[in-house]
Amino acid sequence: MTDKKNGNAFTNNPIVRAIGVQKIVVVLVLIIMLVFFGVAAPSFRSYASLLSIMDYTYYLAFLGIGVTFCLITGGVDLSIGTGMFCYALIGGYLITKQGMPVIVGILVTLLCGVIMGLINGLIVSKGGHAPFLATLCTMMIARGLGAIFTGGVSITWPLSSSPEGWTRSIFKFSLASGTKIPLGFLWVMIAAVVMSIFLNKTRPGRYIIAIGSNKEATRLSGINVAKYQTLAYVISGFFTGLAALAYSSAFQSMAPGGGAGTELNAIGGAIIGGTSMSGGSGSIAGTILGVFIMSVLQTGLPKVNLQANMQQIIIGVVLIIAVYIDVLKNKKLS
Amino acid sequence: MKKKLLAALLSVAMVATLLAGCGGGGSDTTDTTETTDTTEETTDAAETEETADAGTAAAGDLHLEIVSKGLQHAYWQAVLNGVNSKAEELGVSVNFVGPDSESNIQQQVQQLESALNADPSAIGLAALDTESVMDLLNRAVEAGIPIVGFDSGVPGAPEGAIVANCSTDNLAAGGLAAENVYAAIQATVQAATSPVRVGVVAQDATSESVVNRGVGFITKIAELAEADGKTVGMASVSNERYVTDSGVEVNDDADFIIEVRVPASVTSELSAADASAILEQDDTIAIYGSNEHSANAIITANENLNKCGTGEGQVIAAGFDSGAGIMDAVRSGLFLGAVTQAPVAMGEKLVETLVAAANGEEVSDIDTGCQWYTAENMDDPEIAQNLYE
Repeated sequence: MTDKKNGNAFTNNPIVRAIGVQKIVVVLVLIIMLVFFGVAAPSFRSYASLLSIMDYTYYLAFLGIGVTFCLITGGVDLSIGTGMFCYALIGGYLITKQGMPVIVGILVTLLCGVIMGLINGLIVSKGGHAPFLATLCTMMIARGLGAIFTGGVSITWPLSSSPEGWTRSIFKFSLASGTKIPLGFLWVMIAAVVMSIFLNKTRPGRYIIAIGSNKEATRLSGINVAKYQTLAYVISGFFTGLAALAYSSAFQSMAPGGGAGTELNAIGGAIIGGTSMSGGSGSIAGTILGVFIMSVLQTGLPKVNLQANMQQIIIGVVLIIAVYIDVLKNKKLS
Repeated sequence: MKKKLLAALLSVAMVATLLAGCGGGGSDTTDTTETTDTTEETTDAAETEETADAGTAAAGDLHLEIVSKGLQHAYWQAVLNGVNSKAEELGVSVNFVGPDSESNIQQQVQQLESALNADPSAIGLAALDTESVMDLLNRAVEAGIPIVGFDSGVPGAPEGAIVANCSTDNLAAGGLAAENVYAAIQATVQAATSPVRVGVVAQDATSESVVNRGVGFITKIAELAEADGKTVGMASVSNERYVTDSGVEVNDDADFIIEVRVPASVTSELSAADASAILEQDDTIAIYGSNEHSANAIITANENLNKCGTGEGQVIAAGFDSGAGIMDAVRSGLFLGAVTQAPVAMGEKLVETLVAAANGEEVSDIDTGCQWYTAENMDDPEIAQNLYE
């Protein structure tokens, strides 16, 4: 990460180097934010607040994990926001309007994500489209598809009070006493560990990083670039499907055509966590930390009695700072 | 290189926002099944005319064209049901159409043009965009075809173009929610020795109907609290449009504080955060969501907070419109109740007004009404016909 010649005592510390400077900074920022909100808004220091933060974190984390793979290849996936809504609308429609078993709805939701990811991957790798243009197009397609499929009606996944409402318990489990357990955190952590190992310790994962570092060199060393580039988008699509399940479990209903802008929150989380927009480097752990910053901001800001538009400005400023750190880091490397 | 990449990304983000804004419109144009539905409805109406013609010869010659904002949503189907039953009763023929989605303005303009070309006795119109139908409105005036607005009507139409409106009085509808909420909190308010807070979760501060449902609630509940000898003020965090329109001044030290939260953009997450922020304050005794989106946000927030209900020390919650989530909340007692519009009555009154206008009678604006529904009365046929999941 940091060049030894340019580093100081802190950045040259072996432990710091092992974890990564940016991750340590992000953790510190996260702690500062938690302390700030805890002091400024008494209501923030509650279990319910933690549950709210988790509601945001689940779907953003899944989106973030997926899009990190695209970012590492030097690409991006803009279709994940509207895609998340689209797949959840289709799955929810099949369950609530067509009377299909919940498990079918879940599988269709995930399958939609994988298919869209495959399409994205093929357009980028075989079609040679710039990733942001390709996924911008599929972003619009996903937006329209969800609306057409449901006939323009908003969809509510089975409520926790109904017998089919068990999907909601997967992420938030209610004890008999009424206490809610944020079970989704466990799934996010498992996904993060598995994907982190996949990225760093397996051959396909290393190839994905190699593509982002130097696509031409990777190709010349005999690696099927198109295949692994496509894989990155399929992973992103699959995790968008997971995010769709998390979102529809946490929130009441989804309106057709929604979700635009969510992708930027997830990409923002990944960037804050140290994934480079120019590809070649990034970590799942960083993305999870970055996503937590986004969800703590989203939950905390309304509680300190700031006007809604002010909250957006603050989130924007945080993103600018994060991107600036990325730019600085790249400058040092080059 | 880095700069170029950044610049490229920025421009893409901007283009994306642009395209996303207009994207919805184009995507919904090719829904052929809906067109079939429309034709079926037309045939239905024509058949209706045939059967009804035998009995009532006087009105039998009347043909009405109705251009709605869509057909898919259950709300419009309910309007259509009201239109059909009244048309049958009065023995008039009706052609009821609507675009594939509420963003498809161009399609609605074409439908209105076709309606004019059919030379009807009168036209019912819920315009998506007044500007784009302006020419057609003038043509109708020249041709002497009366136009009656319904639902959101034709806001900003030129003088004389619209002879009457059949719509929900949203201010009154918000007021209805306030009356019922206040009845439930009155004892608490009267006994309170420290300030109490009533929250309003609103989707936006731009849509006329959403704003009026909020402002109607605020003015009515402020009036009721003042009648009980309390000072009333708006929380300083409240949205300015609501403060201005309701005429209640900002005062964080009042006995009875009304707090209106509007998200920066319409997403479930932001609205749920707004609802949480209101519910978490210790002095909050009631909360109201002024449409389906906002009421759902209250339900989401309550999943974690578990504060809403009608029991001792719980926050009284009320919603607007129906939908699976709100109906479940009302039925389970999580919500005290909710207001629903009366689309069936809207359809009926629209046809009545159109017939009167076609016969050259003097017509005036009509409030098509709204209803307060609770766990007790939501299964009454009179109310159930206006509720939909």
